[in-house]
Amino acid sequence: MISVTPTDNQAERLDLENLSAEQTALEIRNLNLHYGDAQALYDISMAIPKNRVTAFIGPSGCGKSTLLRCINRMNDLVEICKVNGEILLHEKNIYDKDVDAAALRRNVGMVFQRPNPFPKSIYENVVYGMRLQGVNDRRTLDEVVERSLKGAALWEEVKDRLNASAFSLSGGQQQRLVIARAIAIEPEVLLLDEPTSALDPISTLTIEELITELKEKYTVVIVTHNMQQAARVSDQTAFMYMGKLIEYADTNTLFTTPSQKQTEDYITGRYG
Amino acid sequence: MKQWFKSGKPWIWLTAGSVSISLIAVLGLLILIGWRGLSFFWPAQIHEMDIRANDGSISTIIGEIYETETIPIERLRESGVALDDFNEPTLERWLIKVGNREYVPLDFSWVLQPQIVRDETPPDLAVFERTKDGNFYGYVVGVLEDGVSVANQDDIREVLQQRIERTVKLNDQASDLQDGEIGAINYQLNELRLERRALELAGNLTPAEEQRIAAAEEQLRADYQVLEEQLFALREQSSRDQVLVRDMRGETVTLPMYRMLAVHFPNDMGFFAKLGHFFVQIGKFVSEDPREANTEGGVFPAIFGTVFMVLLMSIIVTPFGVIAAIYLHEYAGKNAITRLIRIAVINLAGVPSIVYGVFGLGFFVYMVGGSLDQIFYPEALPSPTFGTPGVMWAAITLAILTLPVVIVSTEEGLSRIPSTLREGSLALGATKAETLWRIIIPMASPAIMTGLILAVARAAGEVAPLMLVGVVKSAPMLPVDGNFPYFHLDRKFMHLGFHIYDVGFQSPNVEAARPLVYATSFLLVTVIIGLNLTAIGVRNHLREKYRSLEH
Repeated sequence: MISVTPTDNQAERLDLENLSAEQTALEIRNLNLHYGDAQALYDISMAIPKNRVTAFIGPSGCGKSTLLRCINRMNDLVEICKVNGEILLHEKNIYDKDVDAAALRRNVGMVFQRPNPFPKSIYENVVYGMRLQGVNDRRTLDEVVERSLKGAALWEEVKDRLNASAFSLSGGQQQRLVIARAIAIEPEVLLLDEPTSALDPISTLTIEELITELKEKYTVVIVTHNMQQAARVSDQTAFMYMGKLIEYADTNTLFTTPSQKQTEDYITGRYG
Repeated sequence: MKQWFKSGKPWIWLTAGSVSISLIAVLGLLILIGWRGLSFFWPAQIHEMDIRANDGSISTIIGEIYETETIPIERLRESGVALDDFNEPTLERWLIKVGNREYVPLDFSWVLQPQIVRDETPPDLAVFERTKDGNFYGYVVGVLEDGVSVANQDDIREVLQQRIERTVKLNDQASDLQDGEIGAINYQLNELRLERRALELAGNLTPAEEQRIAAAEEQLRADYQVLEEQLFALREQSSRDQVLVRDMRGETVTLPMYRMLAVHFPNDMGFFAKLGHFFVQIGKFVSEDPREANTEGGVFPAIFGTVFMVLLMSIIVTPFGVIAAIYLHEYAGKNAITRLIRIAVINLAGVPSIVYGVFGLGFFVYMVGGSLDQIFYPEALPSPTFGTPGVMWAAITLAILTLPVVIVSTEEGLSRIPSTLREGSLALGATKAETLWRIIIPMASPAIMTGLILAVARAAGEVAPLMLVGVVKSAPMLPVDGNFPYFHLDRKFMHLGFHIYDVGFQSPNVEAARPLVYATSFLLVTVIIGLNLTAIGVRNHLREKYRSLEH
C-alpha cells in the first residue's frame, strides 16, 4: 500500500451512493461510448458532488479522459464517437437534442493536458469567453481579468504586462492562464484533463494548491495519472480500468481500504 | 574511394552542387537582363567616323555603337564585299545607331571595322531626344526664335537647354490639358449621349429631358471651345523656337523645337554627369508613356496595368480561395467526394494558362460580359461595355488560374494549427464558426499569405491568357483616372509581359527594341519581386504575431 496522507483540507465524507439534489453537480447514468465498433466506456454510473474535487485515475487507455470529455461533449468533435446514456446537469440530460453544446461548455469549463493559450495577449486570452458572449465593456472586462487572474493565482506575476503575448509566459504560468481563462466565464464545473502532466514539479505544486482553492467556487473534476496527486488534491476518487468504473469512493477510503482487488493492485503498483 | 562513397560525402557534394547551380542560374539571369537592360540608359559615346566604301569613296557617319560582332571574312567575301588588303580570318563589325530617321533610309547601319579610316568622339556632338522619329545626332549650329537667331557660339548650349525646357513645359501643360480637362469633357459628353440613349430606350425621353441634356451638352461644348483655344495657344507658343543642326551628311537642317524632349552632349560628360543622366533616363523610363509604337519612351502604363491587375486579382482570389479551403478542410465530410474535389482542385493548377484565357474569353467576356451589357448597359450597344476584353475579366481569369494555389496552401495552413487550440476555444463556449473567425483564420493567415505570394508570382508573369482577355499593345487611358467612378474596370490595359512580347517581336525596328526588351524584362522581374517582398513582409509580420510556442 502506498503511503498517502490525506490532507486536512479534504472535506467530510459524503455518501456517494445517495447524494441529495443540492449536493450533486453532475450525475452520470449508464453511459456507454463507442469509437466506431470499439467500445471505450461500459455502463458508467456515478454522481459527482458539488464544490468538491473528484479525481479519475487508472492506467493509460482506461477511458478516464474519454469520460471527462463526455461531460462537456468534447467528444462531439470526433465523428465516429457514439454516446449512449445520460449525463444530468441540473436534472437535464446534456445529450438531449435541444441542448446547445456551446452553451453547455460555457457552464462546464475545461483545461487540457498541454497549456494551449491563444496567440493573443494575456488580457485577450482571459476575456476570450466574455467577448464570445458579446461583452465588450472595458470596465467589466478589466474586472473579469483581475478576478480571474487572482483566482488562478497569476495576477501578481502578470499584472504589469497584461498586453504581453501569452506565449511569453512559462509553461506553468500558461497553464494557470488557461485556468483563468476557463474561470473567467464562471462555469459551474471545471474539468481538468491531466493539467500538470506537461509541467515541472514546482508549477505542479502551484496548480495543485490552486485546485484546492478552486473547489470553493467550482465543482472540479480532474483526470490524473499520478496517484499521489489524486490523493493530495481530491475529495473522492474513481478508479477506472478497461473502460469500466471499478471503484468510486472517498479518496481516503479508496487509497487506504480499497474494496476491489483491481484497485488494490493498481494503487500498489502491480500494473499501470 | 569506396570509403569516400560510404562516408556520405558524395551526397553532400551532389546536393550542394545542385543548390549552387540553381543559385548561379538565378543570379546569371538577373545579372544578364539587369546589365543589358540597364546599360541601355547609360549615355553612350557618340562617334564620328569616316568610312571608305568598296569603290573608294569616303562617307561620314555619326552615331552610337550599339553592338559589336565578330564574323568570318569568308561570309563577307561571299556576299561580294571586297577587302583586299585584309588578311585576318575574322573581323569585327559594328552596329551604329545613326538616328536622324527622317533624313536617312535606315537609322541603324553596320560598319566593318577595317573600313573605318577615322573614328573620333568630338565633345560638341549633341543627341536630341524627340517625340517623333527617334534620336537626332549632330552639331548644334544655331537656335531660332520665330526664325531669328538668338544664340551665338558661346552660349548656344545654355540657350538651347533653356528653350527646350520651356518647350517641354508648354508641351506638358498641353498634354495635361488634353488628358485632364478636355478628356473629362469628352467623358461627360459621352455619358450624356448614353443617358439620352438610355432614356430613349426606356421611352422616357420627354422634351424637358431632351432640353436638359442638350443644354448640358451645349455648356460642355462651350467649355470645350475655351479649352481648345488654350490648347492651341500652348501649341502655338511651343512651336515658336527651332534649332539648326548640322548632321552627318554635312547639311544643316532645321528641327522644330516642339518635338524636342531633351538634349545632351555625351562626349562632353564626366562620370557623375553620366550617372545623373543614367538615373534621369531610368526615371523617365518608368514614369513616361511609350512613344513610336512602344519602341521609345517609357512603360508607365504597362507597370500600372500589371500592378493594378495583380492587385485586383489578389482581391478576388484571396477571399474565394480561403472560403473554399475552409469548407474543404473544416466542413466537408472526410469522404471520397471531398478527396475527389481536392484532387480536381490540385489538378486545375496544371491546366495550361492559355486554356484559362480561352475560357475567360468565352465564358466571362462573351457570356457574362455580354449579358451584363444587355441588362445594365443597353444604351451603349452595339458597342460593348463589359462584353469585350478588359482589366476586370483579366483579373478574374487570373484569379481562377491561381485559385488552386491559394486553396492548397490555405488548407495546409489550416491543418497545421494544433487541435488543442480549437479545443481550447470550443471549451470556452465558442461555436465552430466563432473558433474559425477568432482563432483559426488569424493563425492560418501566414499560410494564406504564402498562397497569395505564389499566386501573385504566377499571375504577374502570365501573358498568354491576358492576350485573350484584356491586354492591348497600347491603351489610350489608364484603368484609374479622375472621372467618376474613378475605377474603370471595363477598360483594356497594358502589361509588362505583353509589352516585352510586343516590343521584341512586333516592333518595326527590332534592333532598336532589343535593349528595351531587356530593360522591360528587368523591370517586370523587379515589379514581381517588389510585389512578393511586400507580401513576404506582411507574412513575416503575421508569423511573428501568431507564432505558436514550440512545445
